[in-house]
Amino acid sequence: MIEALRLPRPLDHVGGWRNLPREARDTLFLLGVIAWTVLPHVGHLPVWCSLLTAAVLLWRAGLAIRNAALPGRWVVVAVLLVAIGLTFWSFRSVLGKEPGVTLAVVLMALKTLELRARRDAFVVFFLGFFIVLTHFLYSQSLAVAAAMLVSVWGLLTAVVLAHMPVGQPSLRQASALAARTALLGAPVMVLLFVLFPRIGPLWGVPQDEQAATGLSNTMRMGSMTEIAQDERIALRVRFEGTPPAPETLYFRGPVLTRFDGVEWRQAPLFAPRRAPNADLRVEGPGLAYEMTLEPQRLAALPLLEATGSAPEIEGYRVIPRDDLAWAAERPVYERLRFEARAHTRFRHGPTEADPDLRVHLQLPAGVNPRILAWTAELRRTPRLAGADARRLAGAVLQHIRVGGYTYTLAPGAYGRDAIDEFWLDRKEGFCEHFAASFVVVMRALGVPARVVTGFQGADPFPVDGYTVVRQSSAHAWAEYWQPGEGWLRADPTAMVAPERIVRGRVLTPAPGLVAGAIGAVNPALLSQLRAGWESINNRWNQWVLNYSRGQQFEVLKDLGFRSPSWEDLALLLVGALSTLALAGAAWAWWDRHRVDPWTRQREALLAALRSLGLAAQPHDPPRALAARVRARYGAAGAELAAAIDTLERQRYARAARPTPDRSLTRAFATHARRLASQTHA
Amino acid sequence: MSSAFVSRLALPNPAAAVRRRFRAWWQGRLPRSDTLVLTQRNIYILPTRAGLMFAATLVVLLLASINYQLNLGYVLTFLLAGSGLVSMHVTHNTLRSLTLRLRPPAPVFADEAARLDIVLTSPGAARFGIGLKLLDAPAATLVWTDVPAGGQAGVQIGFVPGRRGWHEVPALGAETRFPLGLFRAWTVWRPAARLLAYPAPERPAAALPAMRAVPGGPSQARSADGGEIEGVRGYRRGDPLKLVFWKKAAKALESGGELVSRDTSASVQRQLWLDWQACGALAPEARLARLTAWTLAARRADAEFGLNLPGRTVEPGGGDLQRHRCLEALALWQP
Repeated sequence: MIEALRLPRPLDHVGGWRNLPREARDTLFLLGVIAWTVLPHVGHLPVWCSLLTAAVLLWRAGLAIRNAALPGRWVVVAVLLVAIGLTFWSFRSVLGKEPGVTLAVVLMALKTLELRARRDAFVVFFLGFFIVLTHFLYSQSLAVAAAMLVSVWGLLTAVVLAHMPVGQPSLRQASALAARTALLGAPVMVLLFVLFPRIGPLWGVPQDEQAATGLSNTMRMGSMTEIAQDERIALRVRFEGTPPAPETLYFRGPVLTRFDGVEWRQAPLFAPRRAPNADLRVEGPGLAYEMTLEPQRLAALPLLEATGSAPEIEGYRVIPRDDLAWAAERPVYERLRFEARAHTRFRHGPTEADPDLRVHLQLPAGVNPRILAWTAELRRTPRLAGADARRLAGAVLQHIRVGGYTYTLAPGAYGRDAIDEFWLDRKEGFCEHFAASFVVVMRALGVPARVVTGFQGADPFPVDGYTVVRQSSAHAWAEYWQPGEGWLRADPTAMVAPERIVRGRVLTPAPGLVAGAIGAVNPALLSQLRAGWESINNRWNQWVLNYSRGQQFEVLKDLGFRSPSWEDLALLLVGALSTLALAGAAWAWWDRHRVDPWTRQREALLAALRSLGLAAQPHDPPRALAARVRARYGAAGAELAAAIDTLERQRYARAARPTPDRSLTRAFATHARRLASQTHA
Repeated sequence: MSSAFVSRLALPNPAAAVRRRFRAWWQGRLPRSDTLVLTQRNIYILPTRAGLMFAATLVVLLLASINYQLNLGYVLTFLLAGSGLVSMHVTHNTLRSLTLRLRPPAPVFADEAARLDIVLTSPGAARFGIGLKLLDAPAATLVWTDVPAGGQAGVQIGFVPGRRGWHEVPALGAETRFPLGLFRAWTVWRPAARLLAYPAPERPAAALPAMRAVPGGPSQARSADGGEIEGVRGYRRGDPLKLVFWKKAAKALESGGELVSRDTSASVQRQLWLDWQACGALAPEARLARLTAWTLAARRADAEFGLNLPGRTVEPGGGDLQRHRCLEALALWQP
């Protein structure tokens, strides 16, 4: 009986898959979802973890197919202990991001060996959701988001399957139910996403140094090579009006003054003796721009040279340094969007000799002795007798141009006297080698000089109006001081690799197989595809990933709040959620009074008959009721009886109506009233 | 293990007693009905332990999203929160507007499982994962069913009446955790139907007493299974289906009449008196058990039999109806 009443099973899977018992099929599905969820982590996990996870999942799949018993608890505990030991061996710790992710993956795999009760299944689901989140620590790209959406869908499907205990529900049915649940929840998600107040980190997050590439507060020989191969986007700029040529874009990061022979450092930020940027002298109206800055994990803000006044950044105090660089009060771990104004034609720094300049002449003693000798020789050249800083700089740059120097990303390792070795022997280097050597030479010549790091150049064409600057545009250049003018920029790299400056990016990574094939057939299509993809990606970044407190307040302003605050957000969120809940309650109340239309028509008929004093029970079929009317009233009741027969045909005959006939419902009452008045009369 | 052990040894827990009293009072307020339409008023819903675990997971995900400033983390957290919220409504909707109907339960012998036939009707969408059980039974006894869209599904629940006589069908519970198991919606249903429990028959049964001569019985015995029809009468509740006279019943139904049964009361062969006094010096319940066993044996032997109890006599007759009459008398006999 029950079997016959069950839903027919759709035949949507074929062969062995379909013949598997329900339990084995569900387990295999869950294992597949877990594998898919863990797979993107393989690149970040230690090799042993990937292998162990794969082995456990395959073992579990084998057990499911053979319907064999699960291993004892001590096996699982032993493997877990080994995994914890290996984690400690790999990371020297079991705390932190990488060991945490490793352990979570191992735990989830091992938990599949323990799927005994409903509780165990839930542990797997919740660990799965947690692992989905850990992917976002590495990347929040569209591709990762899409892959994780599939994971969440799969996990929800597995949960739904676990709550359909009867028969063998198809995966399609379960996944449709899961998708429906998630889609209905989407409005709540959007509401929470838009209105949930964005607050800063609640406690310090341990930073993983090896994972961070980008600008830094210090510079060593070779440290920038890694950045130069990083194609990730560092920042985007939208200019008001025509964007300037990419080669003129210098984004000023940390200015490095102190050199100990190995490492360049920033001067400490003491209270400046004069107002910061007091020495900035600008020409022209300036260039307004809006910058979206990816997290640099630094306090430094690489603003366009030269930005004279502090941009307003929600949640951060912006501090100007006296070297024209800008910094936030604390390191920035979130995407920032702000507006600022820059003057690309400017002079800055003191025009007269100043005690502050002395620090820009210091060189470490006993390091790079040969370059000092070389400089002394240069100084003795007759044509440079009495030359000012500008002419000396010109001479040094000329030396770089004609001295046989080569620009390369792989200069190899340099020894202790790296500047000597680079300048006089190997002559192969990267922007930081050229900038550092230039500054050392200038200082040896008695000219105040310093290294400036930041970004230079951009992608040649703006995407969606945004000029894109990548990590690979990280650059180091130099500044020297010219009496009467102030600090002047010198970019020694331009002497050997002008294309590095003009094109912005020197080395493009080899294209992938597909991109290479498309590029060979149709280069225009490839660039179009790439531009389209970048455009989608940019929107994703702008609207999803960059959505922060600033944008939340903009949304509130659009909604009519004059000066939105944190409290407004919370109030609006609570209000919206309450409205939603009330609407749900109202619907439920309305739905409670909703009756099946056939039942309503039937009740109308029974009421009409009872008004005539006929015994009409809810279980009486229409035919019996019609017979009773005929028996009582004979020909007088023929109309009413015929109407009741019509009802039976409309509802049960072969050509039954989908919904009741309202005119028939009215006819019952009319005929009954007429009959009542006739008999009364 | 230890907790169960302790709870068995523990002194009466005042809180548990209060809870029991409250439960009894609450259930006592519920009207009894054989048909229950589930609405907001009689569906309860609370988060399960898994639901609380889910909430804790969401908090962890939210904290991670805040601390690492992950906007996609927020998306994930809020997507799951939204799904959880929707799942609450889906869980409630799985029960809402469902109709539960209990078929009149057939009599059983005491200490034998009675089958409660429950029909679930869904007026709207398909329902999944609905479990039914006796309210006080452990969760492992849940019987699961799905209900197709606009259709019906049947569920059988076993219930063992402990003694003979009328039993009220115990309170039933229907529950669901579909779709995500984060919430449990349940309802308490007190059916109005009563269940008759015959006395448990004696095992092994004593031999049947000797047959008595039938005074003034029909001189020609008729065959019990013969094609002759003694007569027809209106269908009475409890008539076996093979007694229904289908040819005539179909005609009668056509004209709005009722079912018709054969009247076989006269077609008997032998006659037997099952007598309280013949049971020897047994205790009253043991005598009832023996008489029950005899009734069954007499019916199996296709005899015409009567029952003689102190203060109650069932006139001789045959067939299943007679069997029921006798068993009912035995079930309800009071000293």
